[in-house]
Amino acid sequence: MKRFISWRVPTKWPVFRLDDRLLLIISGMIVGILSGLAAFALNRSLVFCLDFLHSYRAYWWAFILPAGGAALSSLFLSRVVNEGAGHGIPEVIYAVSRYGGLIRLRSSFSRLVSSCLTIGSGGSAGPEAPVVMSGAAIGSNIARFFSFNDRQRVTLVGCGAAGAISSIFNAPIAGLVFVLEVILGEWSTVNIVPIAVASVAGTEVSRLLAGNQIAFSHHTFHISFHDILACAGLAVVTAFMSVILTRLLRHMHHASDKTKLPIWAKAAVGGCAVGLLGFFVPDVMGEGYHSIRNMIEGVYEQGMTIAVVACFAKVLATSLTLGWGGSGGIFAPSLVVGSFSGLAYHRFLVYFFPSVPWVGEGCYALLGMAGFIGGILQAPLTGIFLIVEITGGYEVILPLIIISSLSATICYYFESASFYMKDLVERGQLLRPGTDARVLSDLSISELLEKDCISVPPSMSLREFVGLITRSRRNYFPVEDPETKEFLGLVKFDDIRPYLFNSMMYDAVFVEQIMDTHVAVARYGEDLSDVLRIMDSRGLFSMPVLANKRFVGMISKATLLDQYRKELMVQTYQG
Amino acid sequence: MSRRAKGRAIRSQAKEARMETKLLHIFRNTPLGRETLLQSIYFCNITRSSMVIYIPEYTKFLMYFDNDVVQVDLDPSYLLYPETSRTHALDLTKAHGIDASFFEPRQFTASTLPDIPVDFDFMCSPRSISDLSSKISLGHIGTRVRRIIKTAQFPVLLTSPCYKEWTSILVFFGGSVNSVKAVRLGLHISRLTGLPLDLFTQVEGSQTMDDYKDRLKQAGLEADFDKRVRDWKVFADNGFEENLYHVPHQALAVLGAYGHGLVKDILFGSKMEVIQSVLSNNLLIVGPRYSAKG
Repeated sequence: MKRFISWRVPTKWPVFRLDDRLLLIISGMIVGILSGLAAFALNRSLVFCLDFLHSYRAYWWAFILPAGGAALSSLFLSRVVNEGAGHGIPEVIYAVSRYGGLIRLRSSFSRLVSSCLTIGSGGSAGPEAPVVMSGAAIGSNIARFFSFNDRQRVTLVGCGAAGAISSIFNAPIAGLVFVLEVILGEWSTVNIVPIAVASVAGTEVSRLLAGNQIAFSHHTFHISFHDILACAGLAVVTAFMSVILTRLLRHMHHASDKTKLPIWAKAAVGGCAVGLLGFFVPDVMGEGYHSIRNMIEGVYEQGMTIAVVACFAKVLATSLTLGWGGSGGIFAPSLVVGSFSGLAYHRFLVYFFPSVPWVGEGCYALLGMAGFIGGILQAPLTGIFLIVEITGGYEVILPLIIISSLSATICYYFESASFYMKDLVERGQLLRPGTDARVLSDLSISELLEKDCISVPPSMSLREFVGLITRSRRNYFPVEDPETKEFLGLVKFDDIRPYLFNSMMYDAVFVEQIMDTHVAVARYGEDLSDVLRIMDSRGLFSMPVLANKRFVGMISKATLLDQYRKELMVQTYQG
Repeated sequence: MSRRAKGRAIRSQAKEARMETKLLHIFRNTPLGRETLLQSIYFCNITRSSMVIYIPEYTKFLMYFDNDVVQVDLDPSYLLYPETSRTHALDLTKAHGIDASFFEPRQFTASTLPDIPVDFDFMCSPRSISDLSSKISLGHIGTRVRRIIKTAQFPVLLTSPCYKEWTSILVFFGGSVNSVKAVRLGLHISRLTGLPLDLFTQVEGSQTMDDYKDRLKQAGLEADFDKRVRDWKVFADNGFEENLYHVPHQALAVLGAYGHGLVKDILFGSKMEVIQSVLSNNLLIVGPRYSAKG
């Protein structure tokens, strides 16, 4: 029975006697495998849905298919699993940033189902964000089950996300880099090894179940110097398109928020519009991998104008799908828009400089993808490594570095934060480990309270008060009503200095005459950053803290510095 | 009074003031919500706790605990008549001398999913987060309320359906780790309020009184116990449910819950389930993650 009871508690399992790092690596591998399976399941479900609905797309009423899918997806999220809509990745970043990676269990499947309904019916969105959300939730809940600490949990969330991206694109380095650059925002040795293992595990699951060519086939390109020069122009184009997509998506979100319709009806409106757009530009439907494959292989038949129109149409369709309540991510649409941008740019170059031996248009499509990812996610390394792994070689590394870095830099001037982080930054919720905002957010007033202050009644004479000072280590004395215990004011040591050496005043002066009744106070539950702001603006070093009008302690900058250092050490611990 | 004695008195006042506790109340602007708020107000007044009121704008919110995140899906009745809810809550609190603060969410996991902090000392909840009359009666604790109890580090005050004052505290003590925590909490509330504390023990199996006393001794509660406990009701005969009749009508019942695993719950049943389905008293429930004070 004893043995049975010990097995009932996961933290007592023999595996937990292992070294912490080894334990994290093993857990990371498990999470990577599960994320890979989630990615594979979504991939197959999408293929099934798209195949099933393919025969109906020829009908005139086919435009309502994306509407139905988006409405069902919205209903599923809001009524069945009771989750708010969203792209997924900002939620993961938020959970990592504020709550040590705590994510609800239901998130491990909810976005898979909802995005399958949205994308499978023809909505313009990507399956990556839902899979990342799912993988991250799997990692978080495994960590929760085994009672891992916050740092370990964050690492497992990263493992889940890395396993998902690696599995979808058959690109383990891109998965690893994406997580470190976008999700976690920190490169520490503690994180890198388990996340790398999870990436490999996720990739292997995909290779095992779906073969070695998952999203796009490998191609090699021979880049010349003039191609590298031309990349600067392509960077401007992709940055421009990134800004347009970011702004249009937000605009659609706001327009949708202002519309007085049920959530499912809004999603249906967006889906319907995408369906109608799809009649004229079929490339905008679904996640768009088929179009990307054609462009990379150089078999996209339409001309430059159509490519430009398709590029803008995809931006519009994605904004309509996601902005009006459909479920999915922007990663795949970004790749589509990027490749259309690259293709159109290549055709423009060929048209105006026909004598120059440009590299194939497939290469430009790939460069466009890297530029767009670098721009919209402001994550140049992710774009670079993703394309390097897709092309299977380092031939394109120079133009990739140029285009990704330039595009990210140009975008930064127009949008100071990436699409995933813009809302979080605006709400002050992006708190990367080791930053001032993060350290302060992890401290609370209750942790900083100095409780050794001695309260005094207003009727106390100066003589009694001086006697009290000799026994106190503090310079501040809160004055309380003896009946109600309410805080009345504060006596500072400096306030009584004029009377200290005049013993004649000892029985003539009382506390209520010398106390400061207009002292700035903090409330017990107040945000520490707000309290600090008041202290800075008034030049204070200490403030009394009240709860229910009663004094509970003092808060001072000295104690804050002490706790700040301790918290910073915990957050930046690399052991 | 000598100067030294006066100094001691002042210091003890300061010590008393340090024990600041906060109660979270999620307000529902309905007659049932009013009854629940009155219970919270009474609790805060008697324990000198400050009250934080949250008036929901969305039907769901998240509570991020140390190792778990709980989504609470509220009944739509929580969003009724938003234009009067703040006034109603303020009127009630002010009339009873409580300076309540209103919680405005600043953190959102999703645009319609606010995060509620969990650094409270108590949380008040109806037995079910629902406005259906069939679900607010005895014998039913909603799944979301159960989840909060299981995960929270604070005790949850489950109110009786109608406003009911309490003039004593009764702790159910069965010897488990959770029930020791409940005793500790009972003693803490007794110290805060000055109200008499009773213990209720249903002797089980081959346990003797010495066993129960030993557990309290091991927990270091012996001295405080002798000082504060008015009566220890020990029952060796009759069924537990039958003996619950001896719980005073106006007592706050403090008890532990979910202290043992699912298997034991299924095989032997849960005392908490029996108590909540029989007693109409206010219940203060201590979950497995509660870190005891006092």
